[in-house]
Amino acid sequence: MKPLPQPGAGAIFVAIIITCLVLFLFQRTVWLVMPALVSLMLFYCLRPVVKALVHRGVSHEWAVAWVWLLLQLVSVVVAFNIFRFVVAQATSWESNYDRYLAAGLNLMTKTTAPLEQMIPALKRAGLDSQLNQQIAEIGASLTGKNLLPVILLTLKWLPCVLLVPYITYFLLKDSVRLKKFIIKSVPNAFFEKSLLLFSRLDASLQNYFQGLLWLTLLDTACLACGLKVLGIPKALWLGLGSAVMAWIPYVGSIIACATVVLVAAVNFPESVQIAYACLILFVIVRILDDFIFLPLTIGRKLHVHPLLSLVMLFLGGTVAGGTGLVLALPVFAVVSVISDVAAQIATDRKLVARFWMTRRMANETCKKLSAHG
Amino acid sequence: MPSGDGMKLFGANNHGAKKIEMLKNIPIFQTLTRNELLEVDEMLHERTYETGEIVFEKGEMGHGIYIILEGRVKVNPCPELPASAVLEMGRNEMIGELALFDEVPRLATVVAAERTTMAALFQSEFTSLLTTNKNIGVKVLVEVTRILGHRARQLLIREKHVPSI
Repeated sequence: MKPLPQPGAGAIFVAIIITCLVLFLFQRTVWLVMPALVSLMLFYCLRPVVKALVHRGVSHEWAVAWVWLLLQLVSVVVAFNIFRFVVAQATSWESNYDRYLAAGLNLMTKTTAPLEQMIPALKRAGLDSQLNQQIAEIGASLTGKNLLPVILLTLKWLPCVLLVPYITYFLLKDSVRLKKFIIKSVPNAFFEKSLLLFSRLDASLQNYFQGLLWLTLLDTACLACGLKVLGIPKALWLGLGSAVMAWIPYVGSIIACATVVLVAAVNFPESVQIAYACLILFVIVRILDDFIFLPLTIGRKLHVHPLLSLVMLFLGGTVAGGTGLVLALPVFAVVSVISDVAAQIATDRKLVARFWMTRRMANETCKKLSAHG
Repeated sequence: MPSGDGMKLFGANNHGAKKIEMLKNIPIFQTLTRNELLEVDEMLHERTYETGEIVFEKGEMGHGIYIILEGRVKVNPCPELPASAVLEMGRNEMIGELALFDEVPRLATVVAAERTTMAALFQSEFTSLLTTNKNIGVKVLVEVTRILGHRARQLLIREKHVPSI
């Protein structure tokens, strides 16, 4: 396919406005949008496997069934290992928890003490004691009866998580059929343009998810290398986990950063510099992510200019918070393609005339048939 | 919808064997194996055109080719076409083949001469097939090239034109 013509400023402006509206609506239905997004990602990752199986002589239905079964097996193995890890840790949970809490408080004291010496006003305000008290309270609330809301929140999101394999299965099984079904309902006059629209949408989404995977790999490489240099144990897994957590904008990165800093504080209780270095590493990777990796991977894959990618990220975050940040680029890419093709159809007088002529012909045929009984 | 063989190709109650048989009769797919034909079938879009309905118009960008499964189409004469050009096409013939390789403007207007059912193969899907399944790609390309070569040869003979090389 030829490279897409660059849309004009007016078209971009319209696409930005529609994207903002869509993001606002998505924020209201985040419980459905998020599983759909994960399913789409799995779909684009697994589709080549299904195609490879079909090429080897397996029927499409069986290929989808095998791939889905494999996905389920992997999910069960991962869930089982997580469960086993949690059970294994359960006996020493409290002691580990205390160790991590103590390391956190130690880090906080070592951080605030020099600050209080430098700024007497902070000492007068009792910064150290207040922060320690706050952390101890948070720690106590996490172990005690206040865990209930967390469990309830997890239960609330559980049905959404369970939706993922089913949406993925039906996408793998019926995406071609669904596409054909939709195309079949399109009038002949607009048939080729509709196919063009589908093709471009498919390419945009595939590029987005490929870009996201590249971004995760880049993040993992940077974080793992940085953490390894700092001497943090299990650097690769911590890097990978943090990169995956970064899919949840802001919150995910903060949680991942706090976890790694705590791990550093536990492993190097005497050397707070290591924990600070971890924090700096996260900030650097975050900056690289937002200003270089994200526009280069996802932005480039979606054929969106890096500057426009940044504008969309800011707008998405403003309009729909975290959901907006995650979805701003893919939604913008999809909206751009739809508005571009829709404009092409609407402004093509020949196509529109052909559509009306065909309708007139069909009406006349119907009249003739009814006149002949 | 008509109830010809062409319609049975994509319908819900079709049997695999019937589908394969139909696709096997289409010249560009005749060298493909059963599994390859099933893969190709996923990419074909069936359209039905009423008598007099325009399939595509001269000058508009072409995004794919059409294979006639049932019925006939006629090509409207235009100055770009040679006087000897075939102006009517029927079952198992393909039209708009140049659009399979590039998005180029259609050379002539094609109209359904009677109720016609066609299978459309979209250029981007065909390109993706070439990259994901090279076996099918090569076989189809060889057949398309053979047909194009045959047409070029006919044109040269009719126009009594001798190429310079």
